[in-house]
Amino acid sequence: MFWEQWAYRSRWRLIHPGAKGLVALAAFGSAFIASRPGYLLILALVLAAATIRGGGLPWRVYLRALLPPLAFLLVGTATLAVTVQAGAGFWPLAVGLEPSQFPQAVLIGSRSLACLTALLFLSGTTPLNDLLVLLRRLKVPQVLLEIMTLGYRTIFIFSACAQDMTMAQKSRLGYATLGAARRSLGNMVAVLATQIGARAAAMTLAAAARGSDGPLMFLDQEFPPGRRSFLVALAAALVMVSAAAVAS
Amino acid sequence: MIRPMTPPFLALEAVTYTYQDGSPGLVDCSLAIARHSRTAVLGLNGSGKTTLCLHLNGLLRPQAGTVWFDGAPMDYSRAGLKNLRARVGLVFQNPETQLLSASVEEDVSFGPMNLGLPRSVVRKRVDAALAAVGLTEAASKPVHNLSFGQKKRVCLAGVLAMQPEVIVLDEPFAGLDVPMQRELQGILERLGQQGLTMVICSHDPDFAYEWADQWHILAAGRLAASFAPEQIPTALPRLAELGLGLPKVAELYKELVASGRLTAAAAPPRGHSDLLARLRQTAGSKCQPAAGSEGRSRK
Repeated sequence: MFWEQWAYRSRWRLIHPGAKGLVALAAFGSAFIASRPGYLLILALVLAAATIRGGGLPWRVYLRALLPPLAFLLVGTATLAVTVQAGAGFWPLAVGLEPSQFPQAVLIGSRSLACLTALLFLSGTTPLNDLLVLLRRLKVPQVLLEIMTLGYRTIFIFSACAQDMTMAQKSRLGYATLGAARRSLGNMVAVLATQIGARAAAMTLAAAARGSDGPLMFLDQEFPPGRRSFLVALAAALVMVSAAAVAS
Repeated sequence: MIRPMTPPFLALEAVTYTYQDGSPGLVDCSLAIARHSRTAVLGLNGSGKTTLCLHLNGLLRPQAGTVWFDGAPMDYSRAGLKNLRARVGLVFQNPETQLLSASVEEDVSFGPMNLGLPRSVVRKRVDAALAAVGLTEAASKPVHNLSFGQKKRVCLAGVLAMQPEVIVLDEPFAGLDVPMQRELQGILERLGQQGLTMVICSHDPDFAYEWADQWHILAAGRLAASFAPEQIPTALPRLAELGLGLPKVAELYKELVASGRLTAAAAPPRGHSDLLARLRQTAGSKCQPAAGSEGRSRK
């Protein structure tokens, strides 16, 4: 949620999401084409720098978003270089490093890192609502878009609701002990689950009140003329894909 | 002069609605709302105000009785409801249930898009509606970053963008602080001046007394009483009986008239500032010395 809030404040928020999507897509493509870890690490660094410097995000905020998936990535990559064999003697299993797997692990790790920074570039400069505009233009099925729109809206409603309930429970010592915390959490989940139905019914009623009898239709947000940003994005995309071809 | 009889713009005739859990929503309720009027529907919690709002927008259908709109029984066909909802807008009490999109301008565009208008027209309507509620600057903001009062105004803009003839507002001031209430009252005042028919369900007798030109009071799903504002000062005991708060201005005016500090007027003051002005005027005229008296006193 904090990441999404920063996306709304990004300097590049008003750049057409199509241009930013093109850069992210080219970065993904480039990461899959390239086979040299050095290039992939440079690509990740450039994308991170663009998100921080260009998008105007504080680097601490960026790290806060990057570190959790990076930890998963490091663990996942490390396991690629580990072998587990039936042990001899006292130990039933022998765990060891497999040097022959190192290049593969480093390549997959650096490729994943480049993809991760590409994703952070797009999501850190483009709130989901703006991405929905892009997806509508790309003719993504209406049902999926409606689910995304309502899901995105309700995430914030339920998050605020859960925060209020947690606070109310805390004020009555609901989290004073481990047992109480377990009960409070269970109660909160149960109440939220029942509220989902009521909220869904209320939203359906509200939509009907404004003349809706089927698909949810909205006017797309308008972005400033994007010819220049598309040209810049296209140039960046060409550079990334060409460099990746050289580094493959 | 004999006034021509005109059918009410919106009316409930002996409407009954009971919810699935058996709780009564409306019970044999009949009331009328005139075109271009400002109607306040007052009542305690559970008196049927929200059920009434849902009937006026065709979201609930009476189990008995008839809802009349523009001289004809309400048409509950798909086309009839679409036409009704284009002409009668409803602003819900809780903005969180009304706002469907996370973007302000997208949400405001939802109603006009459902009317099938061209995008250029929708764009103009969205801009005008956001300007009317003073939220032009917030057009591209996410809904979840707005204050509660701003969310309420987005809801109102979402209905205004459909350019209805009637706006029904369910508890528009619930949860708003005093400055936000004043801001919203200013918006409603401007809308009233544009000739919109407005129906507001409220707990606030002070606001209703100052703003409305017709009161309908609901109790246990029934219409308990209807008053024109000039009848309120004499109807205070009945209001007290119904458990509603009394409008302070009406109460004070009655006391001032009874104690001889103010003279009774055909149109009693409805707002605090009006009452103050009349008091000052009366005090001023009492302080004015009679002709020749000043000269005598100086002698």
